[in-house]
Amino acid sequence: MNAMSPTPSKAYDLNFARWVYENVDGGDRMALCMQCGTCSGSCPIGTQMDHGPRKLFMMIRAGMKDAVLSSNTLWNCVSCYNCVVRCPRQVPVTYILHDLAHVAVREGYAQAKESDNARFAKAFWWSAAKYGRTDERLVTAKYYFSFGVGEGIKRGMANQKIAMGMVKTKRMHLGMPHKVKNTGELHAILAKAAEMEAKKHGAK
Amino acid sequence: MSETTSRSRTIMVVGGGIAGITAAVEAAEAGHDVVLIEKSPSLGGRVAQMNRYFPKLCHPTCGLEINFQRIKKSKRISVFTFSEVSAVKGGPGGYTVTVKTSPRHVKANCTACGDCAKVATSEVSNAFNYGMDSVKSAYLPHVMAFPMRYVVDPSVVGTPEGEAIKAACPVGAVDLEQKDESFDLEVGAVVWATGWRPYPAANLTAYRWTDIPDVITNVEMERLASVDGPTKGKIVRPSNGEAPKRVALIQCAGSRDLNHLAYCSRICCLASMKHAAYVREQLADATVDVYYIDLRAHDKLESFLNRLKRDPQVNFVKSKPARIEKSEAGGPVVCGENTLTREVYAEPYDLVVLATGMQASLAAEGQPSFAADFDDYGFVFAEGDSIAAGVASGPLDVSMSVQSATAAACRAIRAVTA
Repeated sequence: MNAMSPTPSKAYDLNFARWVYENVDGGDRMALCMQCGTCSGSCPIGTQMDHGPRKLFMMIRAGMKDAVLSSNTLWNCVSCYNCVVRCPRQVPVTYILHDLAHVAVREGYAQAKESDNARFAKAFWWSAAKYGRTDERLVTAKYYFSFGVGEGIKRGMANQKIAMGMVKTKRMHLGMPHKVKNTGELHAILAKAAEMEAKKHGAK
Repeated sequence: MSETTSRSRTIMVVGGGIAGITAAVEAAEAGHDVVLIEKSPSLGGRVAQMNRYFPKLCHPTCGLEINFQRIKKSKRISVFTFSEVSAVKGGPGGYTVTVKTSPRHVKANCTACGDCAKVATSEVSNAFNYGMDSVKSAYLPHVMAFPMRYVVDPSVVGTPEGEAIKAACPVGAVDLEQKDESFDLEVGAVVWATGWRPYPAANLTAYRWTDIPDVITNVEMERLASVDGPTKGKIVRPSNGEAPKRVALIQCAGSRDLNHLAYCSRICCLASMKHAAYVREQLADATVDVYYIDLRAHDKLESFLNRLKRDPQVNFVKSKPARIEKSEAGGPVVCGENTLTREVYAEPYDLVVLATGMQASLAAEGQPSFAADFDDYGFVFAEGDSIAAGVASGPLDVSMSVQSATAAACRAIRAVTA
């Protein structure tokens, strides 16, 4: 079986559930989901998800691959782990959502590029991977300017007061970005991880 | 099989609930000597604590009364209350069972006149009502107690109150000198009828049974609805004593949950239908919402479920509530996702009843190694030499427990006569 996706070209794919069970982190336990709704009911931002985890899992079973991978549920999860703690079948809901978000990125879904949370996640990862630390200014700037130069300046100006307040209370610093001692080693580790990931999912 | 010379034909039944009582009377009426061991002051177990049985909503006192009569009439049954098994040695046909008894402080000549309770001044938590109220420290376990004998709580022994209780007894039945005792019995077979306990609601932290007074369990609901319960049969909100207008029944509270009881407790769905019926019977204006994953009306009991489904004031919501929150007024707010409409709800209620599941008593007490083989969930694995009756073998309702107990009696008889 193609480890990346059984049939990447199809919007609606009856093998999608099996593929998720076998390839997505925590997917094997998703097979035990009994649709009780504890996850979606536990979610602190459940009202802001288009589907919520329970319905998303049912959609996976129904083979609605495009709808699942374009869902904002993957991106709006805040990793509070309420659902994971309460799930009566011990399904690691958070892991599944995050790994599905990875799949959406790999397969180039629009939601994975354009949604606010996807943009922010990308900016966050950029800083973490480059410096081994997240720098508040750089993450914020990267996120704002992902919408374009004009929009980036506009958003930056709008939040100037908050930024100054943060600097005053030493929640944000000026000067060189924070970084780990040996970024070279970090980059080597991440390169190796990326290589292993690519091998697992088929180079793309 | 051991040598036949030392074989005993006596059958021991551990646990005096409906299953133990049934196994004991069936074996005795078939001509065998039976020793019935009960941990609490009275026989009857969980059934005595029920208000009604489903589906016909008849009173358990009726069924118990018949069985108590059968025990009284039989010369072959010895009943030991306040007793527990502490060790079992030997094998089929020749067991030596060590029984530990704790003191009742009241002798067999008690006439249940109640004079002791009149002079008692202190009160103790009422275990029969699951601690929802208290009783005098000299008390009758409940109105249908068998044996019909008072109990003097150990807390008054050595106090002036204890002496007053002793002096008040017109027949001199109060004995404050009684101590814990232990003795051995030779029996040919042991039937485990140790039953169940309600799964501790305090473990279900998201449902806040411990800090919201109007969140109660299904067994507490039984006591609320019983005429001999803490409210004399009135279904009220524990917080303020008023009749509830909106009631929520939450299914699978602890059952079908790998973090609690992994199995379906089988009876809770029907028990909750019974609770819906109690509410509708007493409170004409009240509405009941039943929160469920799926409704499991086993056997022939679907008609009872359908009866409640026809009631416009009983609504069914397909959802396992995620949590219960406390409103500003201190009442429960049930939160979750309606899985049919995908709506995330937060509904305030006057009273919430958690359908807590059945946990095997022996498992809850740490599965004594001498007892029997246990399955993964702590129920007795009734195969080979291991004999179990009623809920000790798995979640059952009353009628199924009785069937299971009769089967256990047959197996015990075969074991001692083989």
